[in-house]
Amino acid sequence: MKRMSTKRMWREAGASYLFLSPTLFVLLLFIIGPILFAIFLAFHKVQLLGTTSFEFVGLDNFKRMADDTRAKIALWNTLKYVVIVVPCQTILALVLAATLNAGLKGQKFFRIVYFLPTLTSSAVLTLIFMWMYNQNGLINHVLKAVGLPTYNWIGDPDVALNAIMIMNIWATAPYFMVIYLAALQDIPDSLYEAAELDGANAWQKFWHITVPYLRPVTSFVVVMGLIGTFQLFDQSYIFSGGSGGPNNSTLTVVLLIYQYAFKTLGTMGYAAALAFALAILIFIVTLLQRKLSKEESLY
Amino acid sequence: MGKTKWMAALGITTMLFGSLLAGCGGGEKSEKANGGSKQGEKVEVTLAGWGGNPTEQKLLKQTLDDFEKKYPNIKVKYEVIADQYMDVIKTRLAGGQGPDVFYLDAFEAPALIETGALEPLDKYVTDDFDINDFEKPMLDAFKGKDGKIYGFPKDYSTLALFYNKKMFEEAGVEVPKTWDELREVAKKLTKGKQVYGFGVAPELARLYYIAESKGGKVVTDNKASFADPKVVEALQPIVDMHLKDKSAAQPNEVGATWGGEMFGQGKAAMVIEGNWAIPFLQETFPNLEFGTAEIPTINGKKTTMAYTVAYVMNKDSKKKEAAWKLIEYLTGKEGMKTWTSKGYALPTRKSVAAELGFDKDPLRAPLVAGASYATVWQNGTNLPIITNNFNNQFVSAFLGERPLAEALKEAQKTANSEIESK
Repeated sequence: MKRMSTKRMWREAGASYLFLSPTLFVLLLFIIGPILFAIFLAFHKVQLLGTTSFEFVGLDNFKRMADDTRAKIALWNTLKYVVIVVPCQTILALVLAATLNAGLKGQKFFRIVYFLPTLTSSAVLTLIFMWMYNQNGLINHVLKAVGLPTYNWIGDPDVALNAIMIMNIWATAPYFMVIYLAALQDIPDSLYEAAELDGANAWQKFWHITVPYLRPVTSFVVVMGLIGTFQLFDQSYIFSGGSGGPNNSTLTVVLLIYQYAFKTLGTMGYAAALAFALAILIFIVTLLQRKLSKEESLY
Repeated sequence: MGKTKWMAALGITTMLFGSLLAGCGGGEKSEKANGGSKQGEKVEVTLAGWGGNPTEQKLLKQTLDDFEKKYPNIKVKYEVIADQYMDVIKTRLAGGQGPDVFYLDAFEAPALIETGALEPLDKYVTDDFDINDFEKPMLDAFKGKDGKIYGFPKDYSTLALFYNKKMFEEAGVEVPKTWDELREVAKKLTKGKQVYGFGVAPELARLYYIAESKGGKVVTDNKASFADPKVVEALQPIVDMHLKDKSAAQPNEVGATWGGEMFGQGKAAMVIEGNWAIPFLQETFPNLEFGTAEIPTINGKKTTMAYTVAYVMNKDSKKKEAAWKLIEYLTGKEGMKTWTSKGYALPTRKSVAAELGFDKDPLRAPLVAGASYATVWQNGTNLPIITNNFNNQFVSAFLGERPLAEALKEAQKTANSEIESK
């Protein structure tokens, strides 16, 4: 009797693994495999072209980062970008969502208009923005018309990264706005009614009900934002034609990884080490964020 | 309901396995085709290159058609890699899916040759091919350290001074013969921020010959050495023209993407460009009256840059004989004549150049003249790293953020530390 049941257990388990096998196969081949291979690469000096060679170098690739001026610039640019873009896009998304949820006239129309940037591919978006950022482009014309100073958005190292920040905040905020909108629908009206009875004004209701109630969603939005911004690549790639210029001002960590992996030969291992370091950095920042947001949630 | 779900699951599973099997099948099939290049059987050779303008594409197509007519059992599959050409090629070579024959820029050649991904071509060359007909500097650009030839240059371009005839007439100035004259002329041609006398591309590929004009070296022993005071001295005038004279600007300061466009739009009276700019200007700005001249001399010496591209063969190619036939034809006298007949690029064979008479063409003569004294854009395996760092810091000096000497010193330090830790 007991033997039978083990047999049946095995058969059932076997059947379930058989059904799982296509998915497992795909996961192993395309997700787990590459991750393990990348970690393997990070500890080797790799030459993939011609005579392929893997030479174990231990932690050399990681030590090299400490002397790499461009890696420091890339990290600094990325951090600057994250620190400015994440709060901006989160606040903008929240404000946009709150206004759209306030029951104003034509809110459906605005919902669509606000969401439009998200539908465009980021490559196309960057190209359009580069055209607008042009020295004689739309943005400078508008700035001139209202009497503000104009900039060489693409060519000036002092403003190039800011130009990408503006572009990205504009493009990503609507995506998070939709998430906020969904969460806003969830807040029970009774809370607002109670607050109204207590004599709260619109601002107080927003600050004391909406914002705290949305905290888990904010946490999600911030984490996704952090991951997304740390991985900034396509915009700065197209913006600078792959160089990270002018004067390294748009060089980001992922762009640097790309350059080491594909532009220079024989530095694939170092690129993998950089990628590994970035993954750890994102992991730590995400953990920190979770810790902070938990401590704050006293409601 | 249950039945439908089961069917769906089965369907998806079959599809997944099916596609996997199809993937494997594809690999097998192509291998078979690769292996069997028996007599009479048609062989397909892949050729990869970057696209060009429509006229260039037409010329290449014609050359390939002629080739297929001559060798009926070889079929050429031409693939265009439009963007980030070298990245795609490197990735495909690493993945074992490289094309049989492909374009290779001289700039990238030493590093790629060193990896051993290319097939040396010496053993294929016959006397009929007439190797001595090639311009020597262009051919040398594709020689490995072992002295073997890894590619034959399909064409080349040199730089020349392009000037706007109307603006020169209005300003009453002559075409400059020396670099000092150019600086003076540029001042007279400048009209505030509307028209700059001289359009500069602040990048090493375009400044290399100027940087070395005072005897300094940009690269020494495969390492950056451009912080040499002699290099700084040679480049300082360019920075001064931008910051002090305000007679020079880079294209993006006037909203253009490259020198030819800046020149065509009338925002620069002079630019230094290659022969690719000639058809561009004639087609995009038909009313523009422009002339070309040899680049003004520096220290009484004639200098210019030459850029060249070769056809090379993939070492892993399974159809080397057919691939060689293709290279032989494309860089041979017949194929090169067809390819360069319209003057988009200049022929690397002396006999073809003489036959086509580009040395007598008023616009192209200065470019052809440059071939004999040009510096080929190539120097060792680390030039890509050196160039990257140079460009980054030179721009900051050009924009006036820091002195040139200091900028170049830092760029050199960064470049060399990158090279050492490679």
